[in-house]
Amino acid sequence: MIADLPPGAYVAALAGFRHMTVHRLAALLRHHQPAEAWQVALGERPAEGLVARVLADRHVRAAWRADTQRRTPDVVWQRCVDLGVTVWWPSHAHYPAMLLDDPLPPPVLFARGDRSLLEGRRVAMVGTRNATQAGRQFARSLAADLATAGVHVVSGLARGIDGAAHAGVVAADGTGRPIAVVGSGPDVVYPREHADLWAAVVNCGLLLSEAPPGAAPDAWRFPLRNRVVAALAEVVVVVESRETGGSLITAAEALDRGVPLMAVPGRPGSRAAAGVNQLLRDGAAPVLDAGDVLTMLQLEHARRFDTPVDLRPRPRADDRAVYRALAAEPRTIDGVALAVGLSLVEAAMRLARLEAAGWVAQADGWFECVGSPL
Amino acid sequence: MLAAVRSATLFGVEGRPVTVEVHSSTGLPSFGIVGLPDDACRESRDRVRAAVLSSGLAWKSARVTVNLAPSSQRKGGSGLDLAIAVGVLAASEQIPIDAIDGFAFVAELGLDGSLRPVAGVAPMVAAMAQGDAHHVSSRFVDPLLVRPVVPASSFREAQGVVGERVRVATTLREVYDALVGATPWPAPPDDEFVDDEPPVPDLADVRGQAAARRALEIAAAGGHHLLLVGAPGSGKTMLAQRLPGLLPTLTPDIALQATMVHSSAGVRLPAGGLVRRPPFRAPHHSSSMVSLVGGGSTTLRPGEISLAHGGVLFLDELGEFAPTVLDGLRQPLEEGVIRIARARASAALPARFLLVAATNPCPCGGGAPGACECDDAARLRYLRRLSGPLLDRFDLRVAVSRPAVDDLLVGGGAEPTAVVAARVAQARRRSLDRVGVLVADIPGARLDEWAPLTPEARQVLRDHLEADRLTGRGYHRIRRVARTIADLAGEHELVDVEHVVLAMQMRVQLRVSTREQAA
Repeated sequence: MIADLPPGAYVAALAGFRHMTVHRLAALLRHHQPAEAWQVALGERPAEGLVARVLADRHVRAAWRADTQRRTPDVVWQRCVDLGVTVWWPSHAHYPAMLLDDPLPPPVLFARGDRSLLEGRRVAMVGTRNATQAGRQFARSLAADLATAGVHVVSGLARGIDGAAHAGVVAADGTGRPIAVVGSGPDVVYPREHADLWAAVVNCGLLLSEAPPGAAPDAWRFPLRNRVVAALAEVVVVVESRETGGSLITAAEALDRGVPLMAVPGRPGSRAAAGVNQLLRDGAAPVLDAGDVLTMLQLEHARRFDTPVDLRPRPRADDRAVYRALAAEPRTIDGVALAVGLSLVEAAMRLARLEAAGWVAQADGWFECVGSPL
Repeated sequence: MLAAVRSATLFGVEGRPVTVEVHSSTGLPSFGIVGLPDDACRESRDRVRAAVLSSGLAWKSARVTVNLAPSSQRKGGSGLDLAIAVGVLAASEQIPIDAIDGFAFVAELGLDGSLRPVAGVAPMVAAMAQGDAHHVSSRFVDPLLVRPVVPASSFREAQGVVGERVRVATTLREVYDALVGATPWPAPPDDEFVDDEPPVPDLADVRGQAAARRALEIAAAGGHHLLLVGAPGSGKTMLAQRLPGLLPTLTPDIALQATMVHSSAGVRLPAGGLVRRPPFRAPHHSSSMVSLVGGGSTTLRPGEISLAHGGVLFLDELGEFAPTVLDGLRQPLEEGVIRIARARASAALPARFLLVAATNPCPCGGGAPGACECDDAARLRYLRRLSGPLLDRFDLRVAVSRPAVDDLLVGGGAEPTAVVAARVAQARRRSLDRVGVLVADIPGARLDEWAPLTPEARQVLRDHLEADRLTGRGYHRIRRVARTIADLAGEHELVDVEHVVLAMQMRVQLRVSTREQAA
């Protein structure tokens, strides 16, 4: 045992142990100081309270003891220092105050970036990973508007809505900043295509994780991550969600904590919006633009948050019929031809014009509207 | 006494002439076969002896040696039975040596002396009719006059290759009687020529699906490979089955090659003996590499891609095929032949086919944006199986959606196969007259010459290239498809903007990675 290691080193090392759950780590740190907790894991000091019950299991005892050799505090700490990761636990001075009276406070948080952001106004934006173009577009512009109004946006840095929201914040470059709560270690970029966004969040915002550096993005971490997102936010906005999914877990966590829940309405009957529409029926407040969210935060806002001037060339009158047909729901070229009553060639021509002007996007053969309706 | 009899064995889809030499001498009675026979071939000793005795002929006690020349080449299968039997009868002086000159024999023998068909009669007959250098016959016989003797049930197959020279028999006794001149050769089976090919399903049965129907037409006209992407139940298989009906009847060359392949694989041939209609092969996605591309240790059996030669290979659930199997398709797709090498031998089998594949957009098959319920990892795993180079081979990639209710109810108006096939035939003729190949085979370097663009069409393509909506590889493919669309539309020297635009919409972008699209 090295005498001059800071307590955070022990917390960071313990967080990576096998059989270490949120509850167990919380109990360890409730009953013991970090360095003592380490000795408990080592078996050199008697455990107290709940920890004693956990250590009664010989598998846990053996695993922890082995892990004290495998993950020594000095090595783990050096890694945190190298990465610029700070370690917070409930008795740490920098531990976010709003988490202290949470039903299940994170026993440890690994943080990269600017911790002062947690003192600002914070809105969580969550939604499905498999989002429509329209959903992404809305998330991006809503997040940008909130950031411009000085509100920080909390999200999970996942694919789809999460990524779009933070991309919007980063692009807006306002006083509002991105706060990401991720399910992997703070240095493990997941999903990989978000590498740039991840770096941007670390540079200009705050990135938090319950998992120690190097931890893989295991599936079980993500529902737990969602509770931290809800706990950090003053308002949770669900942008797009199907009838089940991670964003509804976040919504439920928000309700448990008394965090106001808001949802972006979708077309009735649309599969992609089934979850948000259900939330609205259950009493969530609707979000049509950033003004609704700012009102919920009781922030003054003078100007309406209209979409900025659209620079795209206005489509020709006959192309507009195609756009309107797509506004209702995504269609294939067949569907467009049938809905508008066009020949295949004519439908192809109009779609090509709309696509070239940026009004329509195509993926896997399905066309969707992009941006504000005509 | 020495007798030499013409026969052949099968290798890949080629027949190889074999001379069966039978030597009979005094000595300890024995009956042995040399010259690299495989197991089925070695066992013919027992079949031949039983068949000779069952036919009421004598098995003389003598030392009989059978040599299969050329002896360096491995011989497989049971098709040499009849030739060995005839050789034994000649060597034992029951049939005059002169009488077997000018004949060649392919058949398996039953123990009762009956003649049974074997796989590959067509290519073997063709090989025997071409003659061979090893034959040691005392008298020179013009190979073009060689008369192949085959089982009666293989008559059509052999006749399709060498015409009226074919002789048939149903038993060894009939062969013997005819050779010694006791009776004339039995008349070929006189079954009425019935076209027993199942009718090709008609395109008029397909409701809606305007884009996919159009894609089939373009694929048939230009020889463009086609990928159908759509949810289960959207009719991908139904569409693919209608493609052979749009293709013209095979040219005599291709028909002969296709017949050889079918015969070699032991696949039943149509009643006419020749494969004239473009074949349609739809192997299941659990198919192994060898079953798909061909192979095997001794005989190199042709695979599904060779059986689809001249026609359509349909791979349903493309994403479920083993990735190695799919990669095995890339070389034949480029060259039109599959070269298989084994330790003992190598063969080139014809494999020029139109590839039609169908895939769900993801494991759940949801399709429309927002309707899919797969998690990202599953989706990515699914699409990654379809490697970029393979996806790139598909000139046409079309999204197929479940037909709308309106389309199903407001029936009629769907064009029947015959109408579309006529347009296809005309477009194919235009391309063949112009450049001698189908549009899909136009080399990229000749596109400006053979598929010139109007200025507006050029501008549209340029815009798309600059906006990164089109890759360099996609560019050439779209120009070819546009050329075919123009050919289908009528006499167009220049490819116009509407042809290019339709071609682009007929090649949808697949989200092979779920990378976020930029705003």
